[in-house]
Amino acid sequence: MNAAVHQRTGQADAAEAFAGWLQGLGGNGDQNSAGGIDWLESEREQAAARVRTQLVPTNKSEGWRYTGLRKLIEQGFVNVDEPVTALTPDDIGEFLIPELDAHRVVLVNGRFSDALSSLGELPKGVRIGSLRDLLESDPASVKGVLTRIAGEGRHVFASLNTAAIDDGLVLQLDRGAIAERPIEVIHLSIGMDEPRVAQPRNLLSLGDGAQAQVIERYVSLGDALYCTNSVLEIALGRDAVLKHTRIQQESRNAFHITGLYLSQEANCRYAGTNIGLGGTWARTDLVTRFAGEHAECDLKGLYLAGDQQLIDYHMDVRHALPNCASRETFKGILYGKGRAVFDGLVYVARDAQKTDAEMSNRNLILSPNAEVDTKPQLEIYADDVKCSHGTTVGQIEPEMLFYLRSRGIAASLARRMLCLGFAGEIIDALGPESLRDYVAEQVGQRLEQAPLE
Amino acid sequence: MLSVKGLKASVGDEPILKGLDLEVKPGEVHAIMGPNGSGKSTFAHVLSGREGYEVTGGSAELDGEDLFELEPEERARLGLFLAFQYPVELPGVNNMYFLKAALNAIRKSRGEEELDAVSFMRLMKEKLKILHLDDSLLKRPVNFGFSGGEKKRNEIFQMALLEPKLAILDETDSGLDIDALRIVADGVNALRSPERSMIVVTHYQRLLDYIQPDHVHVLAKGRIIRSGGKELALELEEKGYGWIVEGEAA
Ligand SMILES: Nc1ncnc2c1ncn2[C@@H]1O[C@H](COP(=O)(O)OP(=O)(O)OP(=O)(O)O)[C@@H](O)[C@H]1O
Ligand SMILES: [Mg+2]
Repeated sequence: MNAAVHQRTGQADAAEAFAGWLQGLGGNGDQNSAGGIDWLESEREQAAARVRTQLVPTNKSEGWRYTGLRKLIEQGFVNVDEPVTALTPDDIGEFLIPELDAHRVVLVNGRFSDALSSLGELPKGVRIGSLRDLLESDPASVKGVLTRIAGEGRHVFASLNTAAIDDGLVLQLDRGAIAERPIEVIHLSIGMDEPRVAQPRNLLSLGDGAQAQVIERYVSLGDALYCTNSVLEIALGRDAVLKHTRIQQESRNAFHITGLYLSQEANCRYAGTNIGLGGTWARTDLVTRFAGEHAECDLKGLYLAGDQQLIDYHMDVRHALPNCASRETFKGILYGKGRAVFDGLVYVARDAQKTDAEMSNRNLILSPNAEVDTKPQLEIYADDVKCSHGTTVGQIEPEMLFYLRSRGIAASLARRMLCLGFAGEIIDALGPESLRDYVAEQVGQRLEQAPLE
Repeated sequence: MLSVKGLKASVGDEPILKGLDLEVKPGEVHAIMGPNGSGKSTFAHVLSGREGYEVTGGSAELDGEDLFELEPEERARLGLFLAFQYPVELPGVNNMYFLKAALNAIRKSRGEEELDAVSFMRLMKEKLKILHLDDSLLKRPVNFGFSGGEKKRNEIFQMALLEPKLAILDETDSGLDIDALRIVADGVNALRSPERSMIVVTHYQRLLDYIQPDHVHVLAKGRIIRSGGKELALELEEKGYGWIVEGEAA
């Protein structure tokens, strides 16, 4: 009895602290870019109201059982205010991918940076710019898309982001436009005197038949402590093709939240790969809605978590229409005291006949103190579908290790080779080659530092 | 070169090797034959340091070094090589990368420089040719999706590359077609030298027609119960093991 009361009080305290914090973050009404745009102001106000009423997730809340918020709340993050202008292109040299030929966009602490971006010559029908600028010059161009794809979002962090909409990246491809070179988006975070939260709002919209490849990377200067709470809305028109790679390689002190919301028209194809390597606490929600038949959504992922790291991927794929396909292929490597969460929900409505859905999550656990909580869920209400799911949590096979060692290869290198081999399925599918090499290198480096006992 | 005395080893509580003696001198080829389950692979695994076996007695020295004091990779660097009866598939591990890592580890332990990319490729091509293997093998994951015969040839290819002092070939002939057997045997013979010794585990006289052994041993129930020259293999081929094993029991 006593214990229960105590627990409730404890949670109430946490909830209160959290609610206060959220409201502080959502509440800087007057100084942002949505001023004067009625529809957007109304969206923001509704989101702010939701922030006040939405339940604070606890370890009893669906979707948050293994991902505690205490560590996040304890930081007392405050909103980023001033844009960082002191950086020069030389300062970002260390973050570039060697040999990658791309249009480059840089955002610093959630604010679009003209000075650091090098867009080069954009093909016809391709526009890249800051949300802030666009809301000033042509707000009509994002109306009906911005905030509409995410809707209320999956949880309070999405509401929080909407309530604070201010800046971010907007990438628009007109009908039929094709971007041959990849578009690289570097989200750079810099620590400030106080722990800050940046809440970029990003929007990618591809018109019918448009094609692009987008490489997003979350990086930090030094071992900065901060929080990124980003929302990315993606609208794909009929027959559009988007290849999307997201690499989260933030500092070991960073908190990362991404909500990615996808709307897919008929016959379009989304192929996204999520590489999660950094941060101390990272939560990503990938949410897909099919708005037309014969659309395809391919979600791949690779995560590595060691000491002091929690990496959480939640997926929500909803098949409401027939003839669409979705794939989720996630692999994880856990070492030290690393923790990961995989939660994949595929929902197939009664009318969604001929759905082809496949989900797999495989994990390699390298230490007895590492942990992964994996929860694949298929909810199927249609009867003529092809759906499957599988998860595994295993260790390095002793025979494989022995084979390598019997050839003179040191145990630590042998383990690393086997881990890289395991991750190869995800890494090898990346392109272009410079990106693939870079990711392999990043993964290899982390494994090199990992205690592979 | 190799000196094994009174070797006893068990898996769990089950004794498998029960006092095995074997002396191999530089340049010699020894064949080990024996019924299924007699402990031939166990012997090879215990020498090369595979986990899961407990050495409960006896000793094994390679050039005076106590093998049981060494990690598997240290034994390999000392010049011990095991061609596996069942080569292990390593999905996702690139063959070329693997071979380079192995070769460099072994070269380094011998005090030699790492090979540059060009010399490495030249060496690989040269050795691939000996085993009649295709270049494309290098781009694939180690043993992954290889046919049974390709796996066996790949083992001997690795041996050719790593140039061990003592090679143990565990049933390298099984699963090979007639042409492949000849290719593998030629490859092995090309590696024979006054400094290099080999232990060839086989069930068939056929292989020993190609790779002529200096000594033939019969391993049964965890011990070497009969040793002789190459004519012993012919006798075994003709009469089977029964006569020796029974004679031993009597
Ligand atoms: N890991 C193990 N666990 C249990 N028993 C084992 C293990 N390894 C070997 N054994 C047993 O030890 C005995 C010897 O096996 P081993 O593989 O050494 O035989 P072998 O002589 O190589 O046979 P073959 O000619 O069939 O290859 C067998 O009875 C086998 O079942
Ligand atoms: Mg055997």
